[in-house]
Amino acid sequence: MIWLIAFAMRAMMPRTAQLPGIADTDLNGFLRRMRQDAEPLYWVGLVAGAVLFALTPLLTLGIPLPAFCLPKKLLEKHANKLLSHPSYMLRQSVFLVRLSAGMCWGADPAVRARFALSPYAPDPGSFRTS
Amino acid sequence: MTHIAFQPAGPSVEVEADYVVVGSGAGGATAAVTLARGGARVVIVEAGPWRDPDDYPSSVYGAMRDMLESWGSTFTRGRAFWPLVQGSLVGGSTVINSAICVRTPGDVFERWQREMGVPQSSLADAVWGAQDELERELSSEEVPPAARGRSNLLAKRGADALGFDSHFMHRYVKGCRGDGQCLQGCKADKKQSLNRNFIPEVLTRGGSVLSCAPATRIVFEGQRAVAVTGRFKHPQTRQNGATFSVRARKGVVVAASVTHSPLLLQRSGVRNPMVGKGFRAHPGAPVFGCYDEAVDMNTGATQGWASMAYRDKPGFKLETLALPLDMLSGRLSGAGDLLMERLTEFRHIAMWVQACRAESVGEVRSTATGKPAVHYTLHREDMLRFREGMYLVAKMHVAAGARAVLPSIFGMPYKLAPDEIDQLKDASLDPRAYVSILSHLFGGCMMGQDPARSVCDGNGRVHGYANLLVADASAIPSNLGVNPQHTIMGLARVWSQRMLEAA
Ligand SMILES: Cc1cc2nc3c(=O)[nH]c(=O)nc-3n(C[C@H](O)[C@H](O)[C@H](O)COP(=O)(O)OP(=O)(O)OC[C@H]3O[C@@H](n4cnc5c(N)ncnc54)[C@H](O)[C@@H]3O)c2cc1C
Ligand code: SF4
Repeated sequence: MIWLIAFAMRAMMPRTAQLPGIADTDLNGFLRRMRQDAEPLYWVGLVAGAVLFALTPLLTLGIPLPAFCLPKKLLEKHANKLLSHPSYMLRQSVFLVRLSAGMCWGADPAVRARFALSPYAPDPGSFRTS
Repeated sequence: MTHIAFQPAGPSVEVEADYVVVGSGAGGATAAVTLARGGARVVIVEAGPWRDPDDYPSSVYGAMRDMLESWGSTFTRGRAFWPLVQGSLVGGSTVINSAICVRTPGDVFERWQREMGVPQSSLADAVWGAQDELERELSSEEVPPAARGRSNLLAKRGADALGFDSHFMHRYVKGCRGDGQCLQGCKADKKQSLNRNFIPEVLTRGGSVLSCAPATRIVFEGQRAVAVTGRFKHPQTRQNGATFSVRARKGVVVAASVTHSPLLLQRSGVRNPMVGKGFRAHPGAPVFGCYDEAVDMNTGATQGWASMAYRDKPGFKLETLALPLDMLSGRLSGAGDLLMERLTEFRHIAMWVQACRAESVGEVRSTATGKPAVHYTLHREDMLRFREGMYLVAKMHVAAGARAVLPSIFGMPYKLAPDEIDQLKDASLDPRAYVSILSHLFGGCMMGQDPARSVCDGNGRVHGYANLLVADASAIPSNLGVNPQHTIMGLARVWSQRMLEAA
């Protein structure tokens, strides 16, 4: 399922002339970590959002194709329409994908450097054991 | 002194104490240290792990994984799905909060007397006295000039230009460096979260802490609470470990938060139908300002400026709040090139919020899996307040010199020019148009004199039980209109002192 989530995230945060895209970060590593760490409910929500993203161009653009088949411009249009869809349930279901994409992208050292932010120290994940 | 962390499956861990305190956040840690100072042997039972500043994460991902209850994935069930954010570690939400310290306003006690019959005279002075002590112990200080940062200074400028009162905040911090990382835990160890002071003090006074130890039941003999039981849970693997049982010779204090205290009482057989009722919150939502000069909102105190000018009428508090890039980039609307274009302005964005003093009431219930479900929707009067707060924040941005305002409301343009912000007056009143976050929560085990309308009395004692105390935000039967931790700590101190005296 990681590739499906990564696909949706890449569509949401592409590389531009001014900024690195999410594909320039360690997206797969991030998603692998997330699959392992996340609350099952969170991960299920993320997968459901990515599936919905892939299957809904018919609802957003009237095109009966999965999102993978769309050219870049239409894919971007699909992503924008889905995130601002009149149906609250629809736009809410991709909210976790968008939120998690931001977490990956905004923590990347090269991205942070663009905004004069120092790189994050690693998250140790440690705790007192005695 | 002992700290018992996760114990793998094996023989049950058995401990004995005078008092068992369930939950180690604002309420639990304060109650525990107060009881320990009174000479009692105290055991704290905390669902989350014990993390010190060296263990704190840097990123938002790390904070969600290591510090938040259920990855922040508890949402209101109602018209809109708004996330409820709470800490789950030793120190509770004090580790991830902004340390803002506001004394309980007098009208709050008046309201508790009027609506719930809680005698104001005996409580107000005692809580204020306790708050004097807490301010000294936890070093309440105004955000120092060097830590104010541009966003906080701009907010002050905006409020001054509009002519209403505002101030730099007082917070439980010793010498804030303005690292803007309060929400991920203060790695510089300046913030006085309770895992750094009260909880270690409980240990030095002979107490113990069980961490990674969610309590599942309180055990009763007749009407006396005599033990707390549960099973260790590993914070990373989520594997269950050994069971534990802590015998309480004198009493049990429940301080497991607004969402968990009611469920713990229900699971333990406390049959009062008011358990879970009376959920309230201060739903907050941001309005962003975009400035010509760089704001760099993550430089300076995470939250450094506030205004209470509109607390009474229409009923909201205004505050600054700096979101890290890895949170804000998931929060701005749009996708694709459009979003990336918007993100280029990150350094120029300041985020200020209104926290609505909402009167709507919800309920905490248990899901089939035993997790909390909060049923809550803002009614129309609250939405009017909410929207008015958003409009005022937009006006402040314009008064402070913003070149554009980003309202972040569904159905409105992404950006409004200064002369367009009146459009906010007609913004939707549907809660689904807003992305709000609930971090100030109240109720579920409300205090009051009448057992038919409340769970505990004006001393925090659960009706019908001699030695069972509630000492967290769940006992609070109204909104406060100010940041809650000082009130929670004040109540916890007073009530645990009274519990000691009664024993
Ligand atoms: C991001 C954020 C910022 C905030 N900023 C401020 C601020 O600046 N100023 C302010 O006044 N307030 C602030 N607040 C609110 C304030 O932190 C809370 O109101 C306060 O901490 C609540 O205290 P509590 O004791 O009720 O619960 P908590 O502090 O949340 O503690 C409850 C503890 O109980 C534990 N627990 C839960 N279930 C069990 C169980 N079954 N067994 C054992 N343990 C259990 C939890 O893991 C947790 O550690 C903020 C909150 C958040 C989330
Ligand atoms: S602003 Fe920085 S130094 Fe100050 S308390 Fe918060 S994290 Fe600590």
